[in-house]
This record gives sequence, C-alpha cells and structure tokens, in this order.
Amino acid sequence: MFRTMRKFRRAAGTTAVLAVVALTANACADQDSAGAGGNSSEIHIGAWLPLTGATASYGVPQRAGADAYFKMINASGGINDRKVRWTVKDNAADPQQTVQIARELVGQDKVVAIVNANGTSQAEAAFPFVLNQSKVPVLNEVGGNESWFKPPRPGLFGTQTLYEDQAAAIAAWTVQDGAKKILVVHSDPAAFVNVAKQVEPVAKKVDPSVEVDRLTVKYQTTDYTPVISKVKAAKTQAVILILTSPEAAAFLKEAKLQGLSLPTYAYAPVAAESTVSLAKDAAEGLKAVQLVKAPSDTDPAVKEFRTAMAKYEPGQPAGFLALWGWSNAKVFAEITKTIKGPVTADAIDKAYEKATKVETGVSPVMSFSPSNHLGTRSVQRVVVKDGVWTSEGDFYTPPKRG
Amino acid sequence: MSQFLLVLVSGVASGAVYGLIGLGLVIIYRATDVVNFAMASLATLGLYVAVSLRDQGVATVLGIVAAVTITVVAGLLVRETVIRPLGQGQLFSALVVTMGVSLVVENVASSIWGDEPKSFPNLVNGTVSWSGAALPVQSLVTIAVAAVAMAVVGYLFARTTLGSAMRAVAENADTARVVGLEPQRLARIAWALGLGLAALAACLYAPRSGLVPTALVAPLFRAFAGIFLGGLTSMYGAVVGGLTVGVLDNLAANYASASLRDTFVFSFTVLVLLIRPQGIFGTRTFQRV
Repeated sequence: MFRTMRKFRRAAGTTAVLAVVALTANACADQDSAGAGGNSSEIHIGAWLPLTGATASYGVPQRAGADAYFKMINASGGINDRKVRWTVKDNAADPQQTVQIARELVGQDKVVAIVNANGTSQAEAAFPFVLNQSKVPVLNEVGGNESWFKPPRPGLFGTQTLYEDQAAAIAAWTVQDGAKKILVVHSDPAAFVNVAKQVEPVAKKVDPSVEVDRLTVKYQTTDYTPVISKVKAAKTQAVILILTSPEAAAFLKEAKLQGLSLPTYAYAPVAAESTVSLAKDAAEGLKAVQLVKAPSDTDPAVKEFRTAMAKYEPGQPAGFLALWGWSNAKVFAEITKTIKGPVTADAIDKAYEKATKVETGVSPVMSFSPSNHLGTRSVQRVVVKDGVWTSEGDFYTPPKRG
Repeated sequence: MSQFLLVLVSGVASGAVYGLIGLGLVIIYRATDVVNFAMASLATLGLYVAVSLRDQGVATVLGIVAAVTITVVAGLLVRETVIRPLGQGQLFSALVVTMGVSLVVENVASSIWGDEPKSFPNLVNGTVSWSGAALPVQSLVTIAVAAVAMAVVGYLFARTTLGSAMRAVAENADTARVVGLEPQRLARIAWALGLGLAALAACLYAPRSGLVPTALVAPLFRAFAGIFLGGLTSMYGAVVGGLTVGVLDNLAANYASASLRDTFVFSFTVLVLLIRPQGIFGTRTFQRV
C-alpha cells in the first residue's frame, strides 16, 4: 500500500517537475517568439487605435484605410505569400488603456510589430514595454514628434512629416505667393505654439523682408468674431492657421461673414474633409499641406485606393484619414517585401534601416537609414476647389528649419 | 470701441447660451434635487435628430422644434426609468446616474451618427453694422431668443398657477402634496422645461461649434460655473451667472490672454464663492449638526 503511495507520489512529483520544465520552456519559447508574429504563412501585426471616444473620428477611418489595403494584398497572396493579420484594439485615446492593449498584443497575440497605430502620448505610454522591454518595433504611427527620431531609437520608425516641417512648408508657400506681412493664428496649448513658432524663421529664410506676427486663440474657441476683428486690424496680407479643423472652420465662416478675404493657409490637421463640411463655401480657396495626395486625385495610385475602399470598406468614406491608414500600411508592406526569410522584429528593424525610395504613389517617397528613422519631410500642397480638396503640384520638401 | 462692442456682444451671446443651460439645470435641481449632468448629451441627441431632418430637406425651424421635442422625451424617459426609482433626496446617486446616462447617450450618438463634425445651420446669416463693428445677426438672434425664453420662464414661475405650484413643490414636496398638488407631475413638467431650455440653448450654440457627440460639454461646464456664481437655487442667479461667465470669458481672452481665459473666469467664481458661498443670488441655508 505504502509502496504504491510512494510510487504515486514519485510519479506525481516527476510529472510536476516535468510540467514546470515544460511550462518554463514554453514561457522561454514565448519570449523568443515574441517577435515571430504568427506562423510561416502569415505576418501578425497589431495596433491600438481610438475607435471610440473623442478622437474616434481619426481612428475609425485610419483603420478602414489600412484594412482595405491589407485585405487587398491578402486577396492577391499577401506579402511574399504570407497573409497579413492586423489585430486592432480600441484604446479610446487613453494612454493607460494603450499600455494594457500593448501587453495583450505583444504578450498574448504575439504580434511581430505595432503598425499604423495612433496617438503620441498613447504610444509614449507603451514605449517602455513595447520598444524597450519587448523589443517589438513601433512602425508608421500616426502622431509623434521630433524627439522620437532625434536621436533615432531602435525599433521606432515614422512616416509622418513633423508638424514643424509642415509649418515650414506653409511659411515657404505663403512667401512664394508674395505675402510680405503674415499673421499666424494659433491655439494656445504648447503643441500649437511650438508649431506656430516655426513659421517666422523659414519665412525670413525665403524672404528676409517678410514680417510675421502671431495671434493666440484659446483652444476650442468657437466664437471667432473678436478674432477676425483683430486680424482685420493687423492689416496682414496672408493668414496661417495652426488650429484644429473645427476651429479653422469657425475662423473661415466668421471671416466670410465679416467680409475678410485674405489668402489663408493651414497645416495638415486643417486639410480635412470636416473643415469643408463645417465651413461650406467659406472654405473655398483655403490652401493647406497634407501628408498624402488629395483623395479626389485622378492619379492611378489614388484610384486604386478609392477602388479598394469601395470594395472592402464600403461604409467608410475614402477621405484623407483613410488614405493615411492606407499609405502607412503600404509602406509597411513595401518594406516587409524585402525581407528574405522569417519576418521577425529584428528582420523588420533591419529592413526599415535599409529601405530607401519606398514608393506608395499616394505619399512622399520614404527613405530610412540607421541615422534617420523618419521617412520623409515632404508634404503635398492641397487647395479647396469647388468644395473639394485638390492636389496642387507634386510633393514639396520645405527648406531646413533652424 | 468697435472691438470692445464685438467682444461684449459675442460675450453676451455666449453667456445667454450658458444662462439658458444653467436655468434648465436650476429648474430641475429645485424641483427634484437632481443635478442633471446628462442634460447636455440629451440636448446633443436632439441636435443630431435636427441635423438628420435637415439632411432630409426639413426646414431648420422644424428641426429645432424636433430637437426640443426629442430632448424632452428622452429626458423624461431617463427620469422615469433611472432617476425616479432612486427615490427622493438621493442627490449623489442621482448625480452619478446622470453622469452615466451622459456617457451612454454620447456613445449612442457616436455609434449612430459617427464622430466626424457636422455643421448646424445658422438661424440667420449676415451682419449688422453698429459703431463701426460688424455684429453677426446670429449673435443678436441668440441674445433675443434667450431673452424671450428667460422672460417666458420668469412669467411662468411668477404669474401662473402652474409656476406657483412648482415653486411650492420645490419648497416642500410633502406640504405641497397635503394641499393637493401632485409632485411627480410637477417634477415631470420641471424636467421637460429644463431640458427644453437646454435643447434651445444647444440649437443656438451649435451653428458656431459644429456638432460632435461631446459638443456641449464646454458650455455645460461654463453653465455650472454660472449657476454656482449666481446661486444654485436661484433662477435669476443662473441667468446672471451665465451672462457674467460669457462676458468675462471673452474680455479675458481679448484683453488679458487667450490662455488665461478659464483661469480668469474661474478665479473670479472662486473669489465670489469665498465671499458668498451661496452665490450672488443664492439663499443661505442652515442645517443642524
């Protein structure tokens, strides 16, 4: 009886030890495969996006654009015969929620990279776990700032022209159009102030005789009557708006109401469909810079986007934000195509550092290197014509700042 | 001078919106002891219906009537289903419930109509020149409509039997019941009136701001500042407080600093409350320890 019990205990003990060893081995294997991102027939990537909450109007179309692209390439065989599985989780623009999602994507879903996510502070909250601890790359995030790329950080690559460079591009454009006295109307938070401050040095670089003033407006102001009165009093020749889209629309409507007709320029957040739908005919002639070509372009690459959107995301408009998502997805696919062998985090990192002249047809040509993790400084100039954003010329690289 | 006039008129127009929302909050609070945080999101729901009707070709004025009706009906539904079962005097429970309702309604609006900003038409376009200033007619209409609505509410409470009954219930529901008044019916009327005023305010505010599910959060916040400034229990206080907040807000943004706009307004409110904790028109109450 006792011998049987001893045997049972020994067997149980051995089983327990084996189980622990197996679990440990499995855990180690999990850690090793954290960058494996699915099996040999698929590439599993993930993203956090604000699909609900205050900034869902950015996240939902961005997801639709990227989804349309991934569905399109999967339908034609994927990337080097590997299907792309893009797992998207809603972070409601909340940094804390983003950290939780990052743990799920990396720890449970075993994604090989975070691709085409959204939000600066949200990504920054997840960097310690994703980039530093797990060594999983964060690629083509919508958002970001200069400090992300200077100096370059391992695993972090961007495709979005910095807001500061957008301001430089607008400044150059305004001066090239002949304005000698420019007023920059901007919201008061530091992020807007910093962008607005970039206008003067570049404008003076293009033409030293140019005068640039700034007018600060409280963030989320809806009443622009007194602001327009101040703009009139400033006797300026052109206005640059560093505002959100609804604020810019309020500015334009009030300017039209008060009979103020000045060449008006804006940065990419204003170059949105919402500005035109809110400001209606007051937006006519508004000039802005964008990260991508206008979705209404007749260019074949943009047509491909519209066709895929109609086919795979019929409920979503084929607008700028969807095109951002599409463009970021395409940059990832184009670079990942160059990987020979397993698509690991390390392989992606190396492929990005070697990627030069990545063409999507809808966004500027991207070039990366070990010392440059931001793919572009260029923008597309767009103008509202007959109520539709229309591309003007080719992609434009602004003069260097500073 | 023209700049000051513009700042003043646009401040009064903003203040009129805050005053109307504040008045709605005070009417509901006095009648039912509920601080209704869901008021703004319910009014937003009404606005979305108005925009949908406009997209179908319905006239703006009819859309506004629909917005007020939807807001009132939705609000009464909320009261009957989740507020009334809490019972009388559950101030904090009701507060949390209305906050929850507010979030739910915002999400419902977001899932039905999306988060892309939508435009809401002006009641009237154009400007009027006065002392060299081009005053938007929409601002003047906002002030006029708000003034008429406030006057009607004032008349209702001061000169009608219904108003007297509502005041009696607000003072003491049990005593009012003894003299034959129906507190629940009067509470429903108070909710309908309060929500109707909020919906009207929303229709006056939306042409400037555009419409997103959270469009009325900022004016609700300022309306609260107004009613605390004016006195939580005073209808005059809500109106005067709202107007004060609107005008100070604009003066600070234009003559001090845009960044200090909220700091200026809320510092003033805190200062007033330090001197008069019950607000400018509020009644001081004493409670046994």
